Amino acid sequence: MRVLLVEDEPRLLRSLAKALREEGYAVDTASAGDDGLYKAETYDYDVVVLDVMLPRLDGWEVLQRLRKEKQTPVLMLTARDALKDRVRGLDLGADDYLIKPFDLSELLARIRALIRRAAGQASAKLELTDVSIDTRTRLVTRQGETVALTAREYRILEYLALHRGEVVSRTALLDHLADENNDSLSNLVDVHIFSLRKKLGRDFIKTRRGLGYVIES
Amino acid sequence: MFQSIRFRLQFWLAILLLLVLSGFAATVYQLRRTNEIKQIDEELDKRVAAISGLLRGGPPRRREAPAPPFLGAPKASPGDQEFNRPPPPPPDGFPPPRRGERRERPPFAKGGPRDFAPRDFEIPPDQGNLFAPNPERAYYFVVWSRDGSLLKRSAEAPASTSLPTRSDRTDTRTHFRNLADNREAYHYTELGDCILAGVSLSAVDGELHRFAIGLAIAGLSILLLGLACGWWVTARAIRPIEQISAAAQRISAGNLEERIQVSDRRGELGQLAKVLNATFGRLATAFARQKQFTGDAAHELRTPLAVIISEAQTVLARPRDAAEYREAVEICLDAAQQMKHLTESLLRLARFDNEPMNGTQQRVDLAELCRISIERTASFTKERSVTIDSNLAAAEVVGDAALLQQLAANLLSNAIYYNKKGGTVGVSTRAETNQAVMEVTDTGIGIPNEELPYIFDRFYRVDKSRSAEEGRSGLGLAICQEIVERHRGSIAVTSAMDVGTTFTVRLPLASA
Repeated sequence: MRVLLVEDEPRLLRSLAKALREEGYAVDTASAGDDGLYKAETYDYDVVVLDVMLPRLDGWEVLQRLRKEKQTPVLMLTARDALKDRVRGLDLGADDYLIKPFDLSELLARIRALIRRAAGQASAKLELTDVSIDTRTRLVTRQGETVALTAREYRILEYLALHRGEVVSRTALLDHLADENNDSLSNLVDVHIFSLRKKLGRDFIKTRRGLGYVIES
Repeated sequence: MFQSIRFRLQFWLAILLLLVLSGFAATVYQLRRTNEIKQIDEELDKRVAAISGLLRGGPPRRREAPAPPFLGAPKASPGDQEFNRPPPPPPDGFPPPRRGERRERPPFAKGGPRDFAPRDFEIPPDQGNLFAPNPERAYYFVVWSRDGSLLKRSAEAPASTSLPTRSDRTDTRTHFRNLADNREAYHYTELGDCILAGVSLSAVDGELHRFAIGLAIAGLSILLLGLACGWWVTARAIRPIEQISAAAQRISAGNLEERIQVSDRRGELGQLAKVLNATFGRLATAFARQKQFTGDAAHELRTPLAVIISEAQTVLARPRDAAEYREAVEICLDAAQQMKHLTESLLRLARFDNEPMNGTQQRVDLAELCRISIERTASFTKERSVTIDSNLAAAEVVGDAALLQQLAANLLSNAIYYNKKGGTVGVSTRAETNQAVMEVTDTGIGIPNEELPYIFDRFYRVDKSRSAEEGRSGLGLAICQEIVERHRGSIAVTSAMDVGTTFTVRLPLASA
């Protein structure tokens, strides 16, 4: 999952990026409105976390312009707690609104919920034929037994499971699982898919030649 | 309820109406009474004249035509009608005398024997009804002889009637007097006989009594009508006041956007409403500012709080090495310092808002304050590679040294912070006539013209996003302005984009 953080307070940006990366997200950051808008329009993020008070272009403006182009889920993260601000944010197209100071666990849960909803899933637990994935604890079990996965394997699995029934191209996988500073994943997608098949069964992830991968629902 | 304006108005209206009505009724009553007496007097005069004539054996003295009836003239009695016929001309051919006027005594030779008319007389039947018993008015007469002995009296004459005294022996005019309940007219003839005619006033009194009752009833009706009208008028007059009161109540209940609706803009109440509306407007603005301020303060405090919480939670999520913990603690400390700075500024402003100027007043040299501030900011100046160009001439003011020190420090640190790297900050002080002037100039990016009016507002930042970096609370200039205002001075700013900004503080110069 790839997340864009737009926040002008450098210490907060740093600490949030760190927390999200440790949760297995690919994180891009921007500390100004125009920069954030450019990135949000250029890449397909799974979630954008957007502050309101931003240099050059404020959060409302970024949101308005982004909504003309994209459906990307947006979570407003701001110290503006007035009711009218919250209503305005949601009406401008934000999907969620969180007030600073926030609890990190709540922010992470809201991000998970946004990602899940955007993929059309309602439950935090993804149940496939004999594999179940708990997105909250990032625990994968096969026939009741825990399967040990590396962080990257889990990210690929979660993305494919959230979009099960869809064919996901290699590029799309790369787009959503690697941030702008990290392209080390590119050559390794096939390796990770191979490893996942070994752990979860040969036919669990199917390859559509020339198109990509799919977990059939 | 009895304190209400409406009741008081009504009370005074009632008193006023009562005074006017009773005054009017009393006047009318008096006029009517005077008129009645006048009529009676005429009647009596007529009778006196008739008897006088009879006593002398001649026709009765002619009386004047009755005066036109004035107010409520009494019904003419049958006797009156009788008498109102033009009387026959006097046989002696003398012109008829005027009432109360002494008839010229004819020359003795001509009518000699008549002067010694019989001492007795009879009232002829055609004139007898002048004294006929009348249910409304019973006239009576008494005649005394010139020697004071009673000559004749009618049966109705009350026993109390006595011979009137005569002041002057030549006076033959008709006089009137009130005796007990009776009105009497008398006159002495030339020969000294006294003729008196009288009538009881009881009938007239009764009539006047009924008239008075009528007047009282009419007066009361008018009073009630007046009070009813007054009630209606005061209701109309009070209505705008009630509107104002209701609106004020709604406003005090918390709806500060509410305004008093007034129909008449020019009347006194319209003026009052205008004044009140203006006051409410100012109140609403003040409240909005206060609300904005608390909102901003909360916002400013939330950001460092968010840093502390998210940093701590991130670090605590898993085991770290010492360097990572150290870094996290540093970040938290930094954010906490920022909050400390902010709360101090907030407290300072709150104290400004709540306390009158009570700091120790002393002579302070602005030049000295600037020198100290420049020294204290030396490391910050170096860090920003800014040159300080100071031109400090003595400029003494009287005030709170600590506050003025903060003023200088705030302006200086702003000028350094918003300067370009390698820029210059000019600090100058000088004494002008009556004014101590301190100027701080930077060579920074400048402030757009449209932003200038707001830069002294609390939490206002030209760059909206540069929140709380390096301990800048957004309150510095607001505090400066408060300090300057406390010292009855002024602070002004001029700025040119990409050239720089100049703050000029003017304070009253300390008297030598």
